[in-house]
Amino acid sequence: MHAVRNSVLVVTLVFWSAAYAQSQVVVGVHAQKRPFAVTGFAGDPTVAGQLTEVLKNDVRLSGCLALAQSSEAEFVQQGNVRSDTGGLTIECAVTQTATKKTILSRSYPGSAQDLRRVVHVISDDIIKAITGQRGIAQTKIAFVWSRGKVKELAVMDYDGYTARQLTYDKSISVHPRWSPNGRKIIYTSFLQTFPDILEADLYTHQRRRVASFPGLNSGAEFSPDGLSIALTLSKDGNPELYTMNANGGGLQRLTHTPGAESSPTWSPDGQSIAYVSDDRGSPQIYLISKDGGEPTRLTVSPAYNTEPNWSHPPPGSEIKPMLAVTSRVGGRFQIGIYDSATREVVPKVADDADNEDPSWAPDGRHLVLAKTRQWRSRLYLLDVLTGEQVELPAIEGGASEPAWGP
Amino acid sequence: MRSRFLSRAVVVTLIATLGLTGCKNFHWPWQKRTGASAASPVGQPPPLVEGAGIPSGERPIVTGELTHGQFAPVYFDFDSGKIRPSEVAKLEAVAAALKGNSNKLVIEGHCDERGTAEYNRALGERRAQVAREKLVALGVGAGRITTISYGKDKPADPGHDETAWAKNRRCEFAVVKE
Repeated sequence: MHAVRNSVLVVTLVFWSAAYAQSQVVVGVHAQKRPFAVTGFAGDPTVAGQLTEVLKNDVRLSGCLALAQSSEAEFVQQGNVRSDTGGLTIECAVTQTATKKTILSRSYPGSAQDLRRVVHVISDDIIKAITGQRGIAQTKIAFVWSRGKVKELAVMDYDGYTARQLTYDKSISVHPRWSPNGRKIIYTSFLQTFPDILEADLYTHQRRRVASFPGLNSGAEFSPDGLSIALTLSKDGNPELYTMNANGGGLQRLTHTPGAESSPTWSPDGQSIAYVSDDRGSPQIYLISKDGGEPTRLTVSPAYNTEPNWSHPPPGSEIKPMLAVTSRVGGRFQIGIYDSATREVVPKVADDADNEDPSWAPDGRHLVLAKTRQWRSRLYLLDVLTGEQVELPAIEGGASEPAWGP
Repeated sequence: MRSRFLSRAVVVTLIATLGLTGCKNFHWPWQKRTGASAASPVGQPPPLVEGAGIPSGERPIVTGELTHGQFAPVYFDFDSGKIRPSEVAKLEAVAAALKGNSNKLVIEGHCDERGTAEYNRALGERRAQVAREKLVALGVGAGRITTISYGKDKPADPGHDETAWAKNRRCEFAVVKE
């Protein structure tokens, strides 16, 4: 029943507009933040300061914790850092105020060069200890870095730091998507003039061609089990939806329309694919079985819905899968969530900027988007349950088409 | 550059590692920030190198050079994949020119920036394909024509107004001399 489903999904109770952006404040079990005190780390002040800053940022971005004073906190962190032969040892403990229980106490080896990484491990341990869920602090975001006429792929930590360039092709590389095990990124490359789908292995540093048919090869996305790829090809007429085996072969055509299909995204169970079709004029979101057959139209309004991205919350999560889309309303792009009961797209990021390219985090609660103001694109994180947006650190040039890694 | 970027207190450090393939280094402006070390990219993978040649795939390889500018671009209405009647003469000129030789043609489809990225790749492709259909109807062999879509990634005019957008919603024609 809808009521049961909605009671698990958070329900919007209060809606207000802030001075800088419209945000929906969602009140529900998941939106309540638990007060968490970061007291920092004893030891070398410079290193300790760096550790504390990253930890506080991770707490802010977690969505489920709020920074608080020790006197008001449900949980209190403390730690220390010391030099050992060969590097640093960072110790961190978290106690629960009410029970005085130590819920986390661990020692982490590290070095001055990878402090951020160590803190992200600590943050995920903290989230695990408090909520039982896997945190997002160690996840990565791939994105398109634009500078002048060149678009390259880059990967950064989820908090926007430590961005590293992935391609050096001096051409156009776009639409990155991760494999479920985080080892590979498939993307659309114009390296050899024509749009091909290439796969880059982040560990072996090899690249291979996935699809290079005549016409368009783009929109590639791995299935949740990593064994298949859905993609857009135009080789048989106009752009249509296909699937193929991730290792090559097994090409299967799913759609047969005079319109253009594109932008596939897999359902969490890997049985169906949501995608864009402009077969009836303006682009809308449709659903089709991974084996093809009759498509079902999902969105009816607003007039332009594209860029679907389906969340895959982890097993045991209380958050339901959600389909995010980019709608165009009044000439502006906004991010919305499709409500299958009402067939409405509920706006989540709608302001005076262009908000595009939503990509879900593996927790099914956060997503990353590209926000363009005055023609400069920056990446923002959205906590869908609270409506809060966080701007990621700026980089020179533009950042777009982000893809949140597993 | 935009002062807004420089005035921000928070700047990401982008570490460009040396390329094993000998690619030029990219040096992104960065500021030393507590917690961020730019000196030694410890623990990060080296940049991607090519595999032993990317295999050729299924596309017939177009090996010749692409020469742009011989033909006027065909322009499109906003959100439209249809050839305007006023643009047909340009396609007739392309068809006429191709009749005299056996050159191949690449049609590049483009969109303006007011559409989303991936859908624009499909729309750009449809623009290129509809131009190809018209050329085929005018007698050009279909096997001579390949399409490329750039979506909104390769504007002709980097401006952000209707004049620029109108110039970006286009098909461009590139002759391949092999």
